[in-house]
Amino acid sequence: MSTARGSSTVVVDAGSTPRRRPRAQAEASSGPGGYFGRALVVDLPDGGSGPLPLPEDVLRGCIGGAGLGAWLMHRLAPPRVAPLAPEAPLAFVFSPLVGTPLTTSAKFAVVSKSPLTGMLNDALASSHFAIAGKLTGNDAIVIRGACVEPSVLLIDGDGARVEAAGELWGLSAAEAERRLRERHGAGWRVAAIGPAGERLVRFATVSHDGRHAGRGGLGAVLGAKRLKAVAVRSAGVKAPIADPQAVLEAARELRARSFGPATAKYRELGTLANLLSFNAISTLPTRNFQAAAFDEAPRLAAEELHELRQVARDYCASCSIGCEHIYKAPGGKQARVEYENVFALGPLCGVSDPDSVLAASARCDDLGIDTISAGGTIAWAMECAERGLIDDRWLRFGDAGAMLRALDEIASREGLGDLLAEGSRRAAAAVGGGAEAFAPHVKGLELPGYEPRTLQAMALGLAVNARGADHNRSGAYEADLSGDLDRLTGGERHAAAAIETEDRAAVMDSLILCKFLRGVFEDPFPEWAELLAPVTGWDVTGDELRGTARRIVLAKRLYNLREGWTRAADWLPERFLGESLELASGREAALTPERLRAMIDAYYERRGLDPDGRPLPATEGELGLELFALR
Amino acid sequence: MRPQANIRAPGPAREDEPRAERASGPERPATTDRASVPGRLGTAERPSDRERPGAPERAQAAGIVLAGGRSTRMGRPKAWLEWHGSTLLHRVAGILARAVDGPVVVVRAPGQELPALPPGVRVVEDAREGRGPLQGLAAGLTAVADDADLAYVSSTDVPFLHPAFVARVLAAAAHEDADVALPVAHGFRHPLAAAYRTSLLANVEELIALDRMRPAFLFERCRALELDEQALLRDTALARSDPDLLSLMNVNDPGEYERARGRGAPIVTVRRFGTLAPASDREPLELRAATLAAAAAAAGVPLDRHVVAAVNGEQITRDPELPLAAGDTVAFLAADAGG
Repeated sequence: MSTARGSSTVVVDAGSTPRRRPRAQAEASSGPGGYFGRALVVDLPDGGSGPLPLPEDVLRGCIGGAGLGAWLMHRLAPPRVAPLAPEAPLAFVFSPLVGTPLTTSAKFAVVSKSPLTGMLNDALASSHFAIAGKLTGNDAIVIRGACVEPSVLLIDGDGARVEAAGELWGLSAAEAERRLRERHGAGWRVAAIGPAGERLVRFATVSHDGRHAGRGGLGAVLGAKRLKAVAVRSAGVKAPIADPQAVLEAARELRARSFGPATAKYRELGTLANLLSFNAISTLPTRNFQAAAFDEAPRLAAEELHELRQVARDYCASCSIGCEHIYKAPGGKQARVEYENVFALGPLCGVSDPDSVLAASARCDDLGIDTISAGGTIAWAMECAERGLIDDRWLRFGDAGAMLRALDEIASREGLGDLLAEGSRRAAAAVGGGAEAFAPHVKGLELPGYEPRTLQAMALGLAVNARGADHNRSGAYEADLSGDLDRLTGGERHAAAAIETEDRAAVMDSLILCKFLRGVFEDPFPEWAELLAPVTGWDVTGDELRGTARRIVLAKRLYNLREGWTRAADWLPERFLGESLELASGREAALTPERLRAMIDAYYERRGLDPDGRPLPATEGELGLELFALR
Repeated sequence: MRPQANIRAPGPAREDEPRAERASGPERPATTDRASVPGRLGTAERPSDRERPGAPERAQAAGIVLAGGRSTRMGRPKAWLEWHGSTLLHRVAGILARAVDGPVVVVRAPGQELPALPPGVRVVEDAREGRGPLQGLAAGLTAVADDADLAYVSSTDVPFLHPAFVARVLAAAAHEDADVALPVAHGFRHPLAAAYRTSLLANVEELIALDRMRPAFLFERCRALELDEQALLRDTALARSDPDLLSLMNVNDPGEYERARGRGAPIVTVRRFGTLAPASDREPLELRAATLAAAAAAAGVPLDRHVVAAVNGEQITRDPELPLAAGDTVAFLAADAGG
C-alpha cells in the first residue's frame, strides 16, 4: 500500500531538487482576482506535495484551463517523456471564473501528453469537481509519479494524501465515485477512471459525475499511475474577486442571454439534434466515412428519442443551459446521449437500432472509454474485416451485437480488443495491407462526426489542430455551416475561418466557459474580456484576448514540436483525399491533396509559421512565446 | 479550333432571333461592380475569391446573364420586373449561381441601371449597345474565360429557368466535348439558353469584327451540339423538375409577363430540423415560395442569425433572396451546430 501521507509541502522548482517546508494553510493570494497564484504538485507514490508559484504574467498570458495546462506541461513534463511513464505529469487545471456565478463556468481541464497521439492533450469536464478542486486553494493540481498499487489521491485543505483502493479497481468510474463519497463524505468530489483506464486503453476517459474528459486517453495516464480516482474537497478559501458587484451583474446578464435562441437546441433536444440536420446535408459520417448520409438516421434522431425515451434533463453545476438529455437504455439503465456518441456508435458503425446505440453509449460510460475513438476504431476494424484484412469476421457493419462485443474486448484488452485498445492509427500500422489509408484519425486521434469532404474548413481544422482530429479545439465547421463560404471547395478564406474558430476555442477553453454558450456572444473577444476583467482586476481587452488565443494555440504547437512533431502530421487520411462523396443532389464532393495543402500553407502563413509549421521568430516575439521556455 | 461539326438533334429548328439589339464595337468590357461577399448558393464565395493559395483551381462552368436588351416590346426594363418579391434579373442570376461552380456575371448595356444582384455576382459592361447577343457574349466570355472552361449563357427574361436545366445543358457540352450545347425545343433554337466553351472568345470577337452578329454564324464555325426536347429530358433530374421545359419560356411583352406571373411561385418542400419544428408537426411541408425568405415565412421559421438553410442538401445559406425552383427541398437548420 502507498501509505506515505503528504504531511509536508514541496516548493517545486523545475530543474532543482525540491525542498520541503512546513505546509501552509490555503490562503488567498495578493495577486489578480480569480486566482490563488499557485498549482499544487503532487508526487506519487508517497503523495508529497508542494506549491508551484504561478506568476501573474503566466496567468494573464494563459488564463487557465487549457492555456495554463499547456504552460504546466511545458514547464513540468520532461522532454520526450513517454505518456504512460510514471514521470509524465497529468494536471487538473481550473480557471479564474470557476466559483463565480457566471453560468457554465464550473469546468476544469485535464491535461497531459496523450498516449493516443503522443502530443499535448487537454480535455474538459464540468461540474462540482471544478468548484471543490479550486477551493482546495489551487489553480491547478499536477500529479507526477505512480503508485505501486491501485490507489486514490485525496486533496483538501490538509494537502494531498494517497490511499489504497484495491477494492475500487475494476469498478466503473461512477461506482467508484459513489463509493468514495460514501466512505469519505459527500463533500468530496471525485474524478475517476473506469476499467478501460486501468488497462491502459489509449482512449480511456477521466470521468466526474457522469461527464467525461473524454478525448486523448487521459484515463490511461491515470491508470498508468495506478490512480483509480482523484478526490477533492473544499478548503473553504475562495480566490478573491476584484469587483464582485460587477461580476454579479455580468452573471445576471449572461444568465438571461443563456435562455435565448442561441442555446435552444441544447436545451430542447441536446446536441443529438445535429444528427438529422447533418444527414440532410451529407455531413454525417457513415460506415467508417464511406458515406456521409445514413438512410436509417431517423431511427436515431433526437426528435424520435426525445418523444419516446427521454427520462430527464440535467445541468452541470453553475449552468443555466441544461444540455444533458438522459434517455432510457436497455436493462433499466440510463444513458446521457450526445450527438458524438450516437454518430460514432450508430451510423459510423452502420448500426441503426436505438436500443443498441443507447446500450453502447452507456457501456462506454461504464467502461470509461471515449465514444468517438471507440466508434472510429471499431468502424475501421469492421471495414478491415469486410475487406479480409483481419480474421475477425464476426465484426460487420450494422451488427450491433458485434459492436458491443468489441467494446467489451477493448476495455478488457481481450482478443481483438487488445489491438483496438491501441486506437486506429497503431492498429492500422499493425494490420497493414492498406488499412492505414482508411484509419479515421489525425495524429492518432479519431475523427469526430463532421465529414471533412463536405465541410472543408473543418477539413483544415481537423488536419492542423494540435490535439488531432477534434471538433472542440477547432470549430471550423461553424464557418462551413454559416453560409459565408463554400463548404465544398476549400480555399484561403477557409484558413482564416479555421483560425478564427480555433482562437475562439482557445479562449473559451481557458476561461473556461462552455462552448454551448458561444452563440450568445455577438462580439466574443471583447465580451469575454468584460467577463474576465471584473474577476481579475485586469484591464484586459478583446484585442488582448485575441493575442492570448494565438499564444495558446501556438504554445500547444510548440510543445508538440518539442516532442517530435513534423509538418507531415498536419494531414488527413488518404480516404478523404482520394475518394469523393456523392451528395443527395447528385453533385460530387471531393477534397484534393492540392487543395488541402494550399489551405494548410495559407493557415501557416496567417498563423505566422514557417513552411514547416514552426513559429517564425517574429511570431514568437509578438506573442511572447518565451513564456513557455523553461526558466 | 475544331472543324465545324454541327450535330443536329431531331425536330424542327430555326434561330430564335436576338431579343436585344446591340451596338457594334470590339471593345473589351470593363468590370464595373463586384459585391464584397460573393456567393454560390446565396452568400457562399465565388472561386475567384477563394483560391489565392497555391495554383488556382479552375471551375467547370460559369454563368453569364445578358441584361442589355432594350425591352422594347415589354415597354419597361425586363431586368426590373417584379418576380414574387424579387426581380427577374436577380432571380435568373441567382439560379445560375446555384447551378455553376464558377463565377456569374451580368452583362449590361453602357450606363444601364440594374436592380440589386445576388452576392458575388459581377457586372460587366458592353462598350456599345444594340448589336445583339454576340456582343454581350463576348463581354461575358471575356469576364469568365480565366475562371472556367464553359459558360451557360442566359437571357434575363426566363423566370422559370431551373438549375437542373442549366446543369443538363452544361453536362451535355462537357460530356460531348462540344463547343456549344444548344437547346432546340418548342420549335426554336435557344442560343440564350445554351452552353459555350469559353475558348470560343476569339471566334466571337472575330465575328464581331466582321459584323457577322448572328449566333448562327458562330455555330457554323464550331462544334455545336443541338439538344432537342427528348435529349434534354433524358436527364432524369430535369425530367422530374421541369418536364415541360419551362426553363425556355421567355416573357417578351406585358401579356406574357402577366400570364407567367399568374402561374404562381414554384412548389417546394420545406423540412425543419431540431427545434425549428414543433414536436407535433415535424412533417415536411409543401408550399409555394420563390425565395428562401418566402419559404421561411410560409413555414413559420424565423430566418435570423440562429437559422441557416440548405437547398437540396448542398451549400448552406442565409440569403433571404436566394431563388428557389420547382421541386427544391429546403432544409432549415439551427446555425449553432456544435456537439
